[in-house]
Amino acid sequence: MKNRRFVWCALAPAFLLLGCFYIYPIVFNIQNSLTDTSLFQLRQGGNYVGSANYFELFTSPEFGRVLWNTAFWLTFVGVALRILIGLGLALALHSRTIARYRLKTFARLALIVPWATPPIVSIIIFKWLLDPRVGDINQALLGMGLIREPIAFLGSAHWVWPVILLIVIWNTLPLVTLSFVASLQSVPDELIEAAEMDGATALQVARFIHLPHLKPAIIVMVLMSTFWTFNNFVYVWLTTGAGPGFLTNVMATDVYIKAFIDGRMGFSSAMGVVMAAAMLVFGVIYLRVVAAREFKDVLR
Amino acid sequence: MFIKRIRTLVLIAVGAMTASLALAQTTINFRFHDVEANQMRQALDEFEKRNPGIKVNLQRANWSDGRAQYLREAAVGSAPDVVQIVYVWARPFAASGALKPLDDLIAKGGLGIKGWSDFIARDLAAGPDGKTYAVPFATDTFALIYNHELLAAAGFQSPPKTWPEMLAMSRTIRERTGKQGFGFPTGSCGTPAIWFYLNFYWWSKGVNLVEEAPNGKFRISINAEQVADAFNYFNTYVKDGLNPPSMASSCSFGSPEMVEGLVNGDFAMASMADFTAARVLDTWNKRHPGKPNPFRTALHPADIKPSTTHFGGRMVALAPNTKNVDAAWKLVQFLTQPEPTFTKHLTGYTPSQLEAVRTQQFGPGMEGFREQLLLARSWGPYAIGPVSIPFMWNASGRSAGSVFIRQKTAEQAAQEFVALLNAELAKHQK
Repeated sequence: MKNRRFVWCALAPAFLLLGCFYIYPIVFNIQNSLTDTSLFQLRQGGNYVGSANYFELFTSPEFGRVLWNTAFWLTFVGVALRILIGLGLALALHSRTIARYRLKTFARLALIVPWATPPIVSIIIFKWLLDPRVGDINQALLGMGLIREPIAFLGSAHWVWPVILLIVIWNTLPLVTLSFVASLQSVPDELIEAAEMDGATALQVARFIHLPHLKPAIIVMVLMSTFWTFNNFVYVWLTTGAGPGFLTNVMATDVYIKAFIDGRMGFSSAMGVVMAAAMLVFGVIYLRVVAAREFKDVLR
Repeated sequence: MFIKRIRTLVLIAVGAMTASLALAQTTINFRFHDVEANQMRQALDEFEKRNPGIKVNLQRANWSDGRAQYLREAAVGSAPDVVQIVYVWARPFAASGALKPLDDLIAKGGLGIKGWSDFIARDLAAGPDGKTYAVPFATDTFALIYNHELLAAAGFQSPPKTWPEMLAMSRTIRERTGKQGFGFPTGSCGTPAIWFYLNFYWWSKGVNLVEEAPNGKFRISINAEQVADAFNYFNTYVKDGLNPPSMASSCSFGSPEMVEGLVNGDFAMASMADFTAARVLDTWNKRHPGKPNPFRTALHPADIKPSTTHFGGRMVALAPNTKNVDAAWKLVQFLTQPEPTFTKHLTGYTPSQLEAVRTQQFGPGMEGFREQLLLARSWGPYAIGPVSIPFMWNASGRSAGSVFIRQKTAEQAAQEFVALLNAELAKHQK
């Protein structure tokens, strides 16, 4: 009994913090989503409108496009490319060729540079590089005669998503790659040597030894990248402002537009609740797949 | 001996604290959104010299984020003491309790050249309760700025008078000089410049987005065909290669693409506010010292109605949470005097006072702005109606943007835009 009381006392500060900084904002947001609160009525609060905001959201023709942009372009394509490129880079960094030329340290340091670059700085760098007037990329393409006129990459329907993904991936790839490299290092050398003695090719070693070892890391990275990407506001907003038109509008930018440009805080809160619900699904998957395995001894 | 020393030290410390309290300065925060922050800082330095007890901390914010940021701060009582706002923010800010009523302070006098009655746009400074919540600071409008040498090279002696003429001239300029005619930003953001051009186009055809009916209700008075007509007009420049492609990555009339495009002679004509035009002229003069400036300004194109642009401007207001009302008001009084703010520092600005507009020296090449100011109109029902300007601004810009990138046809985008306006009106019409 005494033990139980001690445990509760020890946990109380943590629960208090969780209550203040997580539970209260969530409850407040849900409450807000049921009102017509506007940016101009923050002090007064809005009127209760029931589920009207949710109904409007789900019946709005724009919502489908925003959801597609968020789920497909930003999250699915973004995460898939990050995992695939990260995997390729990790295998390359772990390869004997890199070790033979003593490039391991250099390659890993080089990989850390994008990671250490704050997103806003990365975005500004890329915007300069891609600028139609003075950007090096346009100048190089013009110089090589590949294009006749500069391309407004961020204003073109064809280029804007690849460019956003390029920036996101450049900035966030190192974490994925380094996680995979760390996992690869835990593969026993004897296992690889034995496989090679049995005549396994490099591809077979990668397929039957490295990949199974990397599986837990891949699952964690897929889920974590999905969390970070689905919610991401910074990359899209600072790169394109959700444009051209509404072409790159994702849920996070739409929440911002609805709240701070259209002034509809209540409606924007409803969007936030829907976003959180979507994240909850990934959260449950994460708990079931990863945490349950990682902490099985603790949970038992 | 030791106690004596301690006593002396304590006395020195108390004395120093008392002296520092006596010399304590009042520090006020001033939120300024325009790009001319350096010039404003210089003006504030002068204010501090004249008012040794007051220190002004200049806070910067972007116009596109400024509104939301200030409202958030005002809601929790942490807004800057003095804030620069645009004309059309005063009323909704006042309605939301985010500004301090100024009637008592205004009654004390000391504002502007000829006092409060000489200020322009006083009606927009009033809240729904009739009280005054802001002081007009600077006024501006858009005019057509053109490079007369580039026009002459294409065989034109004067700027266009109508919209079709401007389009035709742009084609000719492209054919004869290889340069572009009318350059405008086509990128999308929350506050895109195309919003202004679309409205000037509609107003010249006698059309408004929102109108107030005789019964006091508001209605959307534009139809999808009229919207599509404007979208198609501006899209012709994009689709026919008459607008520089670099404009797709810019959404502001004061962006480097616009200023540099004019200065470098990449395009011959543009539409912008007087302070941006002043920057164009200034940049050109610095790069070509001693050479005559090729830029002139003129009225915007007209149609069945005369050339009409908006009567825009900035105001300064006090936050309801300010604890330094006297110091903040002194700053407002200082900023509304032409000397030295407008005469020495913000020389591209026109004070929002009739006397100042009458006597303002627009400088060589800038005379078109005086003409245009006389024809400018207020945002009127846009500003006091139930559909907020930021909503229309964002929606019109993005709808046009979707046409420019060929995501939607002008007709499709126009129908969606009008439907959006009607839905927004229905939500907020009382």
